[in-house]
Amino acid sequence: MRYVKISKQDTYEFLERLKKIGTLYAPHKVSEKFYDFCEVDDVKDVEFDYQRTIRPPRRFFYPEREVLFTFDTHKVELYENLPSKEKQILFGVHSCDIVALRTMDSKFMDDQPDPYYKVRRDNGIVIGISCVPDEYCFCNVRRVEFVDTGFDLFFHELPDGYLVRVGTVVGHKLIDPYEGEIFKEVCPDDVENMSKFEEKRASMFTTTGNWDTLRYFMEMRLDHPMYMRESEKCLGCGNCTLTCPSCKCYDVQDIPSIDGRTGERIRYWDSCQFRSHGLVAGNHNFRETKLDRFHNRYQCKNSYCKDTTTSFCVGCGRCTYFCPAGIQFKENLMEIAGYKGGTT
Amino acid sequence: MTTSEMRDEGKENIYDTAKCRLLRKYDLSEQDKLFLFRFEDPEIAMNWRYGPGQFVTVSILGLGEVPISICSSARTMGFFELCIRNAGRVTSQIHKLEPGTLVGIRGPYGNGFPMEQFANRDLLLVAAGLGMAPLRSVFLYALDNRWDFGNITIINSAKYGNGLLFKKELEAMKDIATAEDISIVQTVTRDPDFEGLHGRATTHFDKVNVDPKNCAVAMCGPPAMYKGMFEELIARGYDPRYIFVTLERRMKCGVGKCGHCNIGTATSWQYACKDGPVFDYYDITSIPGLI
Repeated sequence: MRYVKISKQDTYEFLERLKKIGTLYAPHKVSEKFYDFCEVDDVKDVEFDYQRTIRPPRRFFYPEREVLFTFDTHKVELYENLPSKEKQILFGVHSCDIVALRTMDSKFMDDQPDPYYKVRRDNGIVIGISCVPDEYCFCNVRRVEFVDTGFDLFFHELPDGYLVRVGTVVGHKLIDPYEGEIFKEVCPDDVENMSKFEEKRASMFTTTGNWDTLRYFMEMRLDHPMYMRESEKCLGCGNCTLTCPSCKCYDVQDIPSIDGRTGERIRYWDSCQFRSHGLVAGNHNFRETKLDRFHNRYQCKNSYCKDTTTSFCVGCGRCTYFCPAGIQFKENLMEIAGYKGGTT
Repeated sequence: MTTSEMRDEGKENIYDTAKCRLLRKYDLSEQDKLFLFRFEDPEIAMNWRYGPGQFVTVSILGLGEVPISICSSARTMGFFELCIRNAGRVTSQIHKLEPGTLVGIRGPYGNGFPMEQFANRDLLLVAAGLGMAPLRSVFLYALDNRWDFGNITIINSAKYGNGLLFKKELEAMKDIATAEDISIVQTVTRDPDFEGLHGRATTHFDKVNVDPKNCAVAMCGPPAMYKGMFEELIARGYDPRYIFVTLERRMKCGVGKCGHCNIGTATSWQYACKDGPVFDYYDITSIPGLI
């Protein structure tokens, strides 16, 4: 892997140059409390220190709603509506979200790849940035607090700039023209500073250890009273799944035009917390109760992803942070597994 | 871009459909009809293959898609039959289609029954209600390759006599030459006026003409039936390695993407459409929530 350094000031210059390559998205403060990835207009608006965006970065590769096909009902023809190959650059993605994108890849780019997702992913550039955890974060116990793959560049904060890890050939080509100009050589002090940053960061997590045993405890305690107690609080709003960086359920619907001659086949994000998720014709529901649906999400999020060797949940804390009922995902999992938690 | 170029490119799209023409439809019961389809594109028709227990999605533009088990013989090239119950928004529209209409088909999807493993064994097929649809495909496969299989017994059950799918077709098996060693048991559970057998599938094991030690079992019906049948089969000495069932779930994509058919628990998270819909005895008994 290749390592270079960039100063804080030059980072703005680099962002300006990235804008010329494609559409640049980066975290912005969108309200008093919330951040979101927005298209970069003025690079000075980009937030380098943020906890979590309200919407997960997967939406750039797998939008909330998209037209898969348009159709003609008389000719009985479907017309493919593939996305354009324009470059999308995501700057400032945290390590948890990068791994979450890889868990998405494991399903959407398997032996039967989803063409819509694949076109966008193939034309996407992901630039990561280091972060410090708050009390909702538990990426460390998910083993995703430091990523080795899934990014083109990764910016590690230093007191006077960023140490940049170059992850791919695409990333290499991004910095190569500016080598010696805005990207400098890394000196031993920078490595020392990165090491200090990582050490300090590691001490800030409120959970410690490794949660790989979690899914086994969950299976041995399928009837744990937590599920009933917590699902009673659940409003079934689907916020947890919409904000989740690794949730990928979608529904498909045909929207005919007013004369019925043409129309669009669209897909949009679905949530396993909705009653309709397991409902089939004849009014039979495979996940009839709120408890069933609540249970389903806990099993799904903690199941094993072969490609990343982690669980699908990456510990970003969004589902808890944005839950209107205050359901504590992390604490509930610790209760099931009997983990005592960390420093707090 | 011309339309033909768009179509060629579309072939790579896993969500694209192939045009099929409805050739015939037959009434099977008040709610169920059998539809015979043929692929419009001769190339697809020649190359399209499927196995018993696999399914397709039928697309009616403007309404959507539904997953349906294929119920015909895997040998009929370019043609296939679907047994469809008038149960929902899309299926009620399919029931209204007249021969000559075009629909879109994607598939085949799912793992299907492991017919190679079934070879050289007796076959016991247990169906309840619509369950006869995928099992008919298994049965026809066995007839097509009769020399690969031993005795065959089919237990076909339904609530009411007029809901017994393929009743006449199965009865007619008695009269044809290849039907040696083929036993057909048709039973109803809630129809006192039915002239024939009454009671659940499990009550008619005395009429089953297979060797439990050397028999493959394929079942399709409601999950409640599976539980009773498992107990009965194991008690009678059937080999659990050769007991298979097929599951129903809500499915949108058929290719392991949309997430609706997810089943299992944290260490055994699976999609019924891609990892199933056929599961064996060990899957069902070791993974909670499958039935």
